[in-house]
Amino acid sequence: MSGSLLPRARLLGGAEIAAILVFAACFAVPMMTKSVLVFSVLNQALVGVVAAQSVWIMLRMNLMSFASPAFMAIGGYTVAIAGQYEITNVFLLTAAAFILPALVAIPLGALVLRLRGTYFVLVTFVLSQIMQLLLFETPGLTGGSNGISGIPPVNVLGTDMATNRQVVLFACGIALLATVITACLTRYFKQHFAAIEENEILAESLGLVVWRYKALGFVVAAGIAGLAGFSLVTMLLTAHPSSFDSGTAVDFIAYTIIGGRASILGPVVGTALMVYATNLFGTHGQYAQGLYGVLILVVVLALRGGIVGTVETLVRKLRGAS
Amino acid sequence: MKLQYSALALAAALGLSTAAQAQNCELKIGAMGPMSGGAAQWGLAMAGATELAAAEVNSAGGIKMGGKTCKVVVVPYDSKYTADAAAAGSNAFAAQDIKLIVGPVGSPEATGIKPVAARNEQLAWNAAYAKNALEPKFPLMFHIAPGPAVWSDTVIKAAMKVFPMKTVALIAPNDQGGTDIASVDAEAYKANGVTTTEEYYQRGTTNFAPIVTRILAAKPDVVDTASSPPGDAGVIIKQLRLAGFTGAIGRLGGPGTDEIVRVAGGLDVVQNFYWFETVATDEPKVKEIDALYKKMLGKDPVGGTALWADLPAARMTLKAVAAAGTDDAKAVAEALRKLPVEDPNMGKGYWTGKKQFGIAQELHFPFGVGIIKDGKNLGVARQEAKPD
Amino acid sequence: MEQFLQAGIIGISLGAQYALLALGFTLIFGILGVVNFSHGGFYMLGGYVAYACVDRLGVPYPVAVLAAVGTTAALGWVFELLLIERLVDDHLATLMLTLGLYLVMSTAMLEVFGPLAMDFRFPITGALRFGPVYAPLENLVVLGICLTAIMGLWLVLFRTDIGRALRALADDRAVAMAQGLRPKLLFPAAFALATGLAGLTGALVTPILSLSPGVADPVLATSFLTVILGGLGSLGGAALAAFIVGIVEAYSSVYFGGSIGALILFVLVLLLLVFRPTGLLGREVRGA
Repeated sequence: MSGSLLPRARLLGGAEIAAILVFAACFAVPMMTKSVLVFSVLNQALVGVVAAQSVWIMLRMNLMSFASPAFMAIGGYTVAIAGQYEITNVFLLTAAAFILPALVAIPLGALVLRLRGTYFVLVTFVLSQIMQLLLFETPGLTGGSNGISGIPPVNVLGTDMATNRQVVLFACGIALLATVITACLTRYFKQHFAAIEENEILAESLGLVVWRYKALGFVVAAGIAGLAGFSLVTMLLTAHPSSFDSGTAVDFIAYTIIGGRASILGPVVGTALMVYATNLFGTHGQYAQGLYGVLILVVVLALRGGIVGTVETLVRKLRGAS
Repeated sequence: MKLQYSALALAAALGLSTAAQAQNCELKIGAMGPMSGGAAQWGLAMAGATELAAAEVNSAGGIKMGGKTCKVVVVPYDSKYTADAAAAGSNAFAAQDIKLIVGPVGSPEATGIKPVAARNEQLAWNAAYAKNALEPKFPLMFHIAPGPAVWSDTVIKAAMKVFPMKTVALIAPNDQGGTDIASVDAEAYKANGVTTTEEYYQRGTTNFAPIVTRILAAKPDVVDTASSPPGDAGVIIKQLRLAGFTGAIGRLGGPGTDEIVRVAGGLDVVQNFYWFETVATDEPKVKEIDALYKKMLGKDPVGGTALWADLPAARMTLKAVAAAGTDDAKAVAEALRKLPVEDPNMGKGYWTGKKQFGIAQELHFPFGVGIIKDGKNLGVARQEAKPD
Repeated sequence: MEQFLQAGIIGISLGAQYALLALGFTLIFGILGVVNFSHGGFYMLGGYVAYACVDRLGVPYPVAVLAAVGTTAALGWVFELLLIERLVDDHLATLMLTLGLYLVMSTAMLEVFGPLAMDFRFPITGALRFGPVYAPLENLVVLGICLTAIMGLWLVLFRTDIGRALRALADDRAVAMAQGLRPKLLFPAAFALATGLAGLTGALVTPILSLSPGVADPVLATSFLTVILGGLGSLGGAALAAFIVGIVEAYSSVYFGGSIGALILFVLVLLLLVFRPTGLLGREVRGA
């Protein structure tokens, strides 16, 4: 592939550009339809994809994180609490929703990243449970078990994002921003992340300061999760503990794995399909979990590249044949 | 399930085709609640109640709206007991042009649907006992039945006649579904001269032995399981009895006495128990609903007594549509507020909620207090509703 | 004082249950290097199999427990042999496989048995009373079985050839295989042993507490917490940590209340990680 001999040769590759174009194209959807259902499903997918990208960044380094709901909660509650003080400026809130979770991630990362892969999984799982307890135990700040409702709409350049259409446009913007950040990070450090993914001990012995890149990835992933929390809270107009349940981490991981973990298009495609499929289940929500389970098994056993990886391989084969 | 619903709607429509000659349009209404997971029963009850109310209207020829006679079609949605799914449900209904929603059930769902339904201009009911189940800033939200602020005093007074008590320990989960109810219950006990302690446990706790030890250290006369989920309450009772607690156990919270007794290990273990029932479940008139359901829809109802409690809300919504002549949410809400609170099975009730929420949009019908004494189920006594 | 004693009794009986679960969990990790996300699922499955045997087939409870152990062990064996085996060197892949299996299992149980709690009772009831302090008979029975199982496991691992082989595989797989040990037989055996333990715990504990599809998640979380505390892969650490978790949970819940108790446990584990990232008795964790 290009860039393998010359690190950082190109800032963005084909997959990254395609992902960014997808979200740029999303801005057009609210112009083409008035269907509230389309808005609703698209909005859920746009929130999910940002969270899935947070998971994906860590997977670049072979680390599976269950902590995304915890950082989403920090981002989401930051926005909700700011709203109570009538702070609705989109730039201020976006910065806060990214930076605060990232700041919290620094000491946590120092603690957690000393641990090797499997330990990391378990500890991030525990972290998201601690976040739930903290939300319940701090009613003064977070509204405790009631959460915070009645959040004022976000203000973008003087316009309140009050209608369904405007909220979808806002979610497009957040997804686009998250994709650009994710793409730049993973592309710029592509070689480093790949070296860590391949063999961390070898990378370290070859002089790569592994912890530095892991910490950077963890902190940015936390910031991205914070943006997902921002988008979710804006969609619901409510910050509620049940939105950040540790179980939702499984959904985001499923989106990423099923979509494909090799390319940034993986979480995008995975989220889009899974959110769509979940909505199809209608009154039988419990089957969605079973479907995720079956698809994870299929992907891990048979289609290692996930949907995107499999399609890529097929395309390559077809090209080779012709 | 979806197939079943539509098949039933079809069967109902075919069977009643003579009465329904003039039906040339459809009125879609939503039914929302958790239809999967641990609280599935409550959501299925909501859907069942709405189906029954719709079948009644359809068998009488449909509903008149703007010169047309319309058939009522129920669209169910699984809101999974989460704020997110309830908000998504409101949007999914809006996409199908559904402006009236019977449901959702739980506090997280009610919190989730309120702002979104307001944005979509939908009328919705909720059955949550949350302290903010109704808010004046959401005038299209209605409440299916009152929370403990309205009925806890009556239940406590009835219980004190059978089980004298001076101290009560309340136990509930540490989330909104627990704290919003147990704290209101505690106020009501205090107003009756009973000293209370409140104990909250982490949802997901499976073994309550340590908490039982903690509660019993204070030697309470009565332990009240408030709104602990029925499965949890059953284990709590089992472990309380094992620890040698002989006092009465109360439940000023949600439904589920059957499941509680089952999990606890039967009436012999439970011994002395009193509980709040949303409706007077022993009234023949109320029990008739199950037979009616079977007759109208051709299958057994699901959801137990919760279906009975949800039915008046569904019926009154359709009555209000008929009165308003449209399904526009604001017009229906306006008509609904003017309707007298009456139900063929429940009897006469009142619009309450002004005192607690500042907005009188809560249906309050006669309810029940159940007593189990010395291992014998004495049944559920009817309690009259009182105006605010 | 009586409260203090009572909390101690509760703590030990909790600890014994947690130990059975954590031993299985850590066994799978130590020998195969697999983080088993379906561990709570096997606990739940054990409960449902025992329930179905008693309620649907009318089998006596002790036989039902054996059936639950057999079923969960067999399923574990098959799952390892057919699925895990292919990817056993890829930690993340095996983790995802077990996660996928867990999601499928819990959906299946929900579909077959519904969301409500089952009417499943332990055949022995009552309690031994010493003045104000009591010990429920059912807990004593479970404690006895747990301790026996732990002893049995210890005997298997330290006094039999298969145990020596398993431990050799856990220590250094490459060397062990070079010496002719056959992972094709031993890996499924280890997995089956562990899932059988989870199934046993489920069959014993769910009739005392409650049996519904929701029981699996807390079990998984407790197993995680215990093995993090004890040191991933360390059997002694898991047993020690299980009793610590049980006793801390009992005392903190009795003296500080339910939700603070959970928070104290979590903070304790985080603090330990600051000072001893490998857990109480853990060694340097195998490269992941």
